[in-house]
Amino acid sequence: MGALTDKYCIVGVGETPHMRPSNRTTLSMACEAVSKALADAGLKPGDVDGMTSYQAGDSTTSPHVATALGMRLNYAVDILGGGSSGEALVANAIGLIEAGYCETMVIFRSMNGRSGRRMGGQTPGGPVPVANAEGDAQFNIGWGWTTPAQRFGMSAMRYLHDTGCTTKAFAEIAVAHRYHATLNPKAIHRSPITIEDHQKSRWIVKPFRLLDCCQETDVSVAIIVTSRERAYDLRHPPVFIMGGYARTLTDSPQWNYSRESLHYVAGNYGWKRSFGMAGISHKDVDFVSCYDAFTFTTLIQLEANGFCGRGEAGEFVKGGRLQIDHELPSNLSGGHLSEGYTHGVQMVIENVRQLRHRADDACPGWAEGKHSYDRQAGCRQLRKADICYGMGWGWENMASCLVLRGMAA
Amino acid sequence: MPGPIDYSKLRILPDFDTVEWWAATRQRKYLVRQCKACGHKWFPPTFPACAKCASMEVAWFETAGKGTIYSYVVVVQPIVGAFIGTVPYVVAIIELDDCKEADGRVTRVAGVMIDEESEVAIGLPCEVVYEETNDPKIVMPRWKINGTASGVWRFTE
Repeated sequence: MGALTDKYCIVGVGETPHMRPSNRTTLSMACEAVSKALADAGLKPGDVDGMTSYQAGDSTTSPHVATALGMRLNYAVDILGGGSSGEALVANAIGLIEAGYCETMVIFRSMNGRSGRRMGGQTPGGPVPVANAEGDAQFNIGWGWTTPAQRFGMSAMRYLHDTGCTTKAFAEIAVAHRYHATLNPKAIHRSPITIEDHQKSRWIVKPFRLLDCCQETDVSVAIIVTSRERAYDLRHPPVFIMGGYARTLTDSPQWNYSRESLHYVAGNYGWKRSFGMAGISHKDVDFVSCYDAFTFTTLIQLEANGFCGRGEAGEFVKGGRLQIDHELPSNLSGGHLSEGYTHGVQMVIENVRQLRHRADDACPGWAEGKHSYDRQAGCRQLRKADICYGMGWGWENMASCLVLRGMAA
Repeated sequence: MPGPIDYSKLRILPDFDTVEWWAATRQRKYLVRQCKACGHKWFPPTFPACAKCASMEVAWFETAGKGTIYSYVVVVQPIVGAFIGTVPYVVAIIELDDCKEADGRVTRVAGVMIDEESEVAIGLPCEVVYEETNDPKIVMPRWKINGTASGVWRFTE
């Protein structure tokens, strides 16, 4: 067990709607998300004295948000980051609170990821008219090889070659996460899809089709971390942070394709640390979340974190295993593939709601933890949601993890 | 065949670590970085230090520009404007023949294939070819299948 396992909790979560476009500033959206997280926790702005965020040169900062909301912070720092940074900043928050730098910390991400700066550099209107290739980009823009889909596609193609898996395994993930989105009123895409729908959708970059790719949106998300002692007095049942790993690296970075295997990704180096810190094993996990920028990234994270053997993920996900009421439900909000794209934090938010037994679904009593478990009636709350293993991804070379438990576990 | 690449819509901006690499491509030479201390080779040259021994004493190794296709993607939806008329085109990762090291390390590079999708397969041999651009300072390396092999693998969906 980790020295600080279960000593810190996530006590508040909040987000703006997923918008396309927002027609708002990242500061405006961040203020809404932080305010909603405060309200969710039952805290006032003056109760929070630490704030942090991550961005890619595309967002507002903690001092701006704190000033706007009238908060006087004892600790504020904003980092450059991306997928897997949310989990990493939770780890930072634990250390900072333990060390006495602050007592309660907000973590936010705010991005006009659809109408503003898009991942991979394309413009909101389509292809980049004239592209400057400098730094690392000298060796990819010039080759028309820029977006995450184009880059991760290389690993996916080699994975198909090495394992004999087919894209029907990708389809299983698209179908499962979409099914969960049908139960989430906040999701962008709420119509169910089939394996065949996935197989018939248009190619983006082979081996990825349209339904392998996530939904870029304009959105802000926020979560609040504090000590267990303070958490007991707040509005919802606390969600305890059991362990994790943060921004673990592979032995060479994503833009160096000379490492032994393209699909031996960073999670492979981290999972023993996170399970050890949490003091649990795979069989204790009730549900997971994966950074599903693409269907394939879900597949490879399950494998990297030891939920199945190397090369076995294609078989592992067959037959709806990742769907609610099956063996290992994944991304219960619909995830990046179907809810919207938040650079990872929405998975933490959904996991917290599930562990509280307060998924914000169609059940009239969800806020009091009253659920029907009737999927036809729009309930997406798991019956047993005690321990969640959340996996973050920032290219093949970088991964994070956050293991959480609810009051019942 | 993939369509032409509109190089007028690309601006390649060499820097301290890469200017010699682009100068070499103008002379039809394909370079990778090599460590003076331990001999390890790597690509791209944007990395200023040897990942094997951390030395920053670096030199160039001139490869024969021949290798084997290790993986590839087929870009169908263009993102960079220069490639609007090129789709569908194949970007491949190529494992270089003459950069295999005694401890098993290899050097892989990437580039746009001259060949069309139906001809490309993992395991096929290929070699670099050079394409003039509208910028006299930039010659672009591309890759071309130059033989056959047994046991190749192709994505057929």
